[in-house]
Amino acid sequence: MTNAPTDAPGPSRQSPWRQIGILYGRELRAALREKMIVINSILIPVFLYPFLLWVAFTGLMFVMGQTEGFTSRVVVRQPPREHSGLSKRLETNPQIQLLATRAPVAALREQIKEGSLDLLVEFLPPRQPGAALPGNFEVRLAFDQSKERSVEARGRVNDIVEQYRADWLKREARRRGVADSAWQGFTLSSHNVASRKEMGAFILGLLAPVIFVVMVAMGCFYPAVDAIAGERERQTWETLMSSAASRLNIVAAKYLYVVTLGGLAGILNLLAVILTLRPVFAPLLSRTGRVLECSVPLAAIPVAVLAAVLLAGFVAAGMMIFASFARTFKEGQAMVTPFYMLILVPVVFLQAPGIKSSLLLAIVPIVNVTLMLRDALSGHFVWPPALLTVFVSLAAILLSLKLAAFIIQFEDVVMGSYNGSLAKFIRQRVCRRPPPPKPS
Amino acid sequence: MSAPVSVHNLTKTFYDESRGQVRAVDDVSFECRPAEIFGLLGANGAGKTTTLRMLATILKPTSGHATLMGYDVANDPERVRRNLGFSSSTTALYPRLTARETLDFFARINGLPEDRVAERVESLIRRFGIASYAGARIDKLSQGMKQKVAIARTVVHDPPVLIFDEPTVGLDVLNALEMQQVIAEFRAEGKTIIFSTHIMSEAEKLCDRIAIIHQGRIHACDTLANLRTATGQHYLENIFVHFVQQATANAQPSPAGANLEAHGPDLT
Repeated sequence: MTNAPTDAPGPSRQSPWRQIGILYGRELRAALREKMIVINSILIPVFLYPFLLWVAFTGLMFVMGQTEGFTSRVVVRQPPREHSGLSKRLETNPQIQLLATRAPVAALREQIKEGSLDLLVEFLPPRQPGAALPGNFEVRLAFDQSKERSVEARGRVNDIVEQYRADWLKREARRRGVADSAWQGFTLSSHNVASRKEMGAFILGLLAPVIFVVMVAMGCFYPAVDAIAGERERQTWETLMSSAASRLNIVAAKYLYVVTLGGLAGILNLLAVILTLRPVFAPLLSRTGRVLECSVPLAAIPVAVLAAVLLAGFVAAGMMIFASFARTFKEGQAMVTPFYMLILVPVVFLQAPGIKSSLLLAIVPIVNVTLMLRDALSGHFVWPPALLTVFVSLAAILLSLKLAAFIIQFEDVVMGSYNGSLAKFIRQRVCRRPPPPKPS
Repeated sequence: MSAPVSVHNLTKTFYDESRGQVRAVDDVSFECRPAEIFGLLGANGAGKTTTLRMLATILKPTSGHATLMGYDVANDPERVRRNLGFSSSTTALYPRLTARETLDFFARINGLPEDRVAERVESLIRRFGIASYAGARIDKLSQGMKQKVAIARTVVHDPPVLIFDEPTVGLDVLNALEMQQVIAEFRAEGKTIIFSTHIMSEAEKLCDRIAIIHQGRIHACDTLANLRTATGQHYLENIFVHFVQQATANAQPSPAGANLEAHGPDLT
């Protein structure tokens, strides 16, 4: 019998893009019906972080309000007679309750540690006897830094003592015929030159990029695991592999799908944070008398979209590489989680003061995109690092895809033979390749 | 007329950490004729699934070659898959798609011309009685309903060759009988079918020719009548045992680990 191709009239060859489009559509349609993916890639980015920020700041306000409502329990030891005015101020302050006790100092300190007392005020002779004038004294405040009430009591008493000291100096200077301007020499005042808009951009630039990275990673996480390990667990992997789609197109469609959901999560989250920043921060800023204006420069929008695509492109490729070794969703989660944690590490360093876009930082993946986004949201466009960031990110994505292509050439990886063990793959395939099969 | 499926000296070895090289399929050769049900009969782990996975281009042969509709499985896998419908007990459907979406997806991804997709999907929905639940998601369907959708999925692109790898595993008697009837109908339509099973009665009832596979090797391949004549046994069960015993008796001492378990450790 001859074996010349006898193609059937029905099925025809398709263009790769058409195949990818069909596969991509299927992935997306199925994903948007999956509760876990919708929650993690859409609902959490939109609601969770704005909600968390709101809860955090509202909680902070509440705690601050509660602390202000406390009466500080204070014991004062040996107040100087010459400064009875100070004692009076302490006695008449409604937020301070002076306790009368003869307990020794050590016992009082124990009470502070236990929390039954907030502060011990000791009036001591000055440490430099030679320099001391009659009536001089040192105030020592014993408190517990680990207790909010104690810290608050210390602040209150500290303010009263400082105010008393300033008033006393002023009074004494006048009594001796010295004008305030003569003895004060200079005064200190500060003025914030940043506009409301700039303050808004500053806070947005501080918060949004960090949450953005977390959200893009979270947006990629479940789709990446689901697209490979989930498919194996549901036993649909073999069904797909026996279809006429090429392996490369299958992987490309899955990759595009993960990038889409990761990027979508990032952009939705960014929008949500921008829209909710003002109401979230309003209670905090109202205490300081400041007002925020949260607006994003128009030019920042394409930069944000580009940042989402670049970041999702890199994160998706990395996560899919790890997920490709897993056979079940659980294994996939275990494989991808360390990578997820790893990509969040550089973001922590961005919180250090003084970190700015530079050509050097533009070559560090994730950090570079985050800085580019931060600059754009703040209205600063530093083009050389931004261009380098795009170039480096594309190179990192290409490299990751190359690595993925290298890994999926192994049949046993495609079939999920490594049970979620990267070590097993490295041991068998990289370190100690099995000998070639003997001819039959 | 050329053979729709032609397999020559097909071999597959796997590497296993604990056992070294494992030969799952060993020098297997056979041909399938048009409009024939070709049975691959073997015990669990005999090498049936690995052979069929190589034909479906899911696995690459270590040596030997096979063609499907004239296309080489190793060199032209996409063309092979376009001409093939593959179904096994481990090929599941997407739970979050509806039955209609499933058929539509597999018709299009397998290259059925766009203008034929809707008509083909609807005709299969009618043929397999899927209409009442065509809009329901797969995960809401019963096992029997899923099975019908799975069969329709396998043939939606109208391939000339069909592979059914233990298709009745896990099915109740009625569903299994229905599956057998459908496979017989496909033969009547002129399709070439490779049917793998370890259930003797199924093979006896359905297959035009039967290959007995044991420890990765084919020990007999003929019509049931000829196998009966060759062995002097009537029942396929006895015929199968005859060849397995013969193979065991003839087996030479082989290197440690070889041929013990036909599948690789992770490819069952």
